[in-house]
Amino acid sequence: MENIIEINHLTWQYNDTDHPALKDVSLKIQEGEFIGVCGPNEAGKTTLVSCIKGLIPHNLLGSYKGEVKLFGKDVKALSAKELAKYVGFVFADPEAQFTSMSVEEELAFGMENIGIERDEIDRKIQWAADITGLGNLLDKSPYDISGGQKQRVAIASVLAMQPKIMILDEPTSMLDPFGKDSVFNICARMKAELNMTIIMVEHTLDRLARLSDRLILVGEGKIRRFSEPKQFFEDVDELAELGLNPPSSILFLDKLKKAGLYHGEMKTTVEEVIQVAQSVCEKQRVIREARS
Amino acid sequence: MEGVHNKKMMKTLLALIPVKSPLYYFHPVTRLLLFIITGFIPLFINKPELNILFAALVMLLFIYSRVSLSSLKIYLPVIICAGIFTFLTFIFFPGDDSNNQAIGHLFSITIYDRPIMDACIAYSKILALLLSSIFYFSTNRERDILAALRTLKVPFVVSYVLGLSLRSAGMFLEDLHTVREAEQARGLDYSAMKFTEKVKLYSMYIIPLLSLALRRSDEISNALFVKGYAIKGSGKRADYILSKYNFTVVDIISCIALILLLILIVYFKYSYHLFDSDQSIFRYFLK
Repeated sequence: MENIIEINHLTWQYNDTDHPALKDVSLKIQEGEFIGVCGPNEAGKTTLVSCIKGLIPHNLLGSYKGEVKLFGKDVKALSAKELAKYVGFVFADPEAQFTSMSVEEELAFGMENIGIERDEIDRKIQWAADITGLGNLLDKSPYDISGGQKQRVAIASVLAMQPKIMILDEPTSMLDPFGKDSVFNICARMKAELNMTIIMVEHTLDRLARLSDRLILVGEGKIRRFSEPKQFFEDVDELAELGLNPPSSILFLDKLKKAGLYHGEMKTTVEEVIQVAQSVCEKQRVIREARS
Repeated sequence: MEGVHNKKMMKTLLALIPVKSPLYYFHPVTRLLLFIITGFIPLFINKPELNILFAALVMLLFIYSRVSLSSLKIYLPVIICAGIFTFLTFIFFPGDDSNNQAIGHLFSITIYDRPIMDACIAYSKILALLLSSIFYFSTNRERDILAALRTLKVPFVVSYVLGLSLRSAGMFLEDLHTVREAEQARGLDYSAMKFTEKVKLYSMYIIPLLSLALRRSDEISNALFVKGYAIKGSGKRADYILSKYNFTVVDIISCIALILLLILIVYFKYSYHLFDSDQSIFRYFLK
């Protein structure tokens, strides 16, 4: 697989701050991957994805060292229009990204900017609305719908532009459980049906781990860990030290490991954990029967 | 009879009106022209009775467009205040005209006929203009206004900034509401406050409101960048919303009729002085 995102020795410090938000970060992401980004608050997660989108250095002030390349091109040399074709970005606060007064216009706005024709816009609006379940909301104002629907509008407006890379920056942080579910379901559908590279910053680790091909742990402006979920959760104590709260299923398996009851790799889905628990119970039953 | 709540309603900038309002048979450009013409015509008419008739005509347009007239109640304070300020200005500052004739006294102030007539003319114009503005913003959404401007080839950035400024008023009120709710949640009792304290409190709202406005503008700037918008080099736009409207023969006829009406009024005003205040029944009444 081709590396479509390459970050080389990137250091970024916002103006009027004491220390860099990112310190000598290097990273390579392949086409079609689903990357989960996690870490404590103020770790540098949003800064990292803002650098990939080009909001840094184009729209924010600070000191920039190193380089970020998208498809081999330096983001500093790309225009807003080119960047929008490569990378879509969904913010944590859905209202912060609305630029229009109806859902339909909101979906059309980005496509108009990158020069798509009216007929094509119409077709893509229907397509994005279908994926995100917004078909009956197109006439409404994006400010007059529920939080979950707002975030779906934000995702649909980016999705309709069909960028090659989709970044979602804590898209569920302002949503209720039902809204969170709908966003994760859309992400799962995007992963399954669209050949899109997705980078999702998220605190809900259990859901993120199940979707991600690889997970990045950001801490104090550095990449602390970058691996597949099964390896990512190997050292739970270290993750806790780095400010992360691993999912309960992982904590359960870690307890089993520490008790000497399980020696396999970490599992991220509920079904896998149930299987492990069943096999442990079965082994214990056999041991008890042998002893008696 | 079909109740208002049974109909499919649409939220405009100032009101809630049925989606099936007859006004929506017209293209946004025709509606914008109607607003401009109805706003301009009273400026050429110096007979208050004609301007009042004109205001009544705008009221008929409200009914035709199925805007609930009860929604106009909230504008009454503005309409009354505008009247009070206009008349008080002309009463207290009548000017130094030798043709002024005293018609009475109010608290030792002499009231003259001409300034009162001028106040009637000015207020009738303001009233007609206010009503036509309320009519336009009660029957159109931001989207309709933008569609009209973009059809008229107004640059995208101009129409977009106009749309943002229309929206910002609502955002400002929403922020104010949030700040006030936060204060009340922490035990601030407005009813127990003196008037001077309330004034002081309102002046203190400026700081959080200003910082919220700055944050919003920063967010909008980032959102525009993320969606690929740049003022320079954005190229030709598809203007998708224009595909939702059709400029029909009815629109062409309506636009021509409205422009002709304005031309006729201007022609009769300057050629025959038809709308001068000399023959106004208000003047006979004052005499």
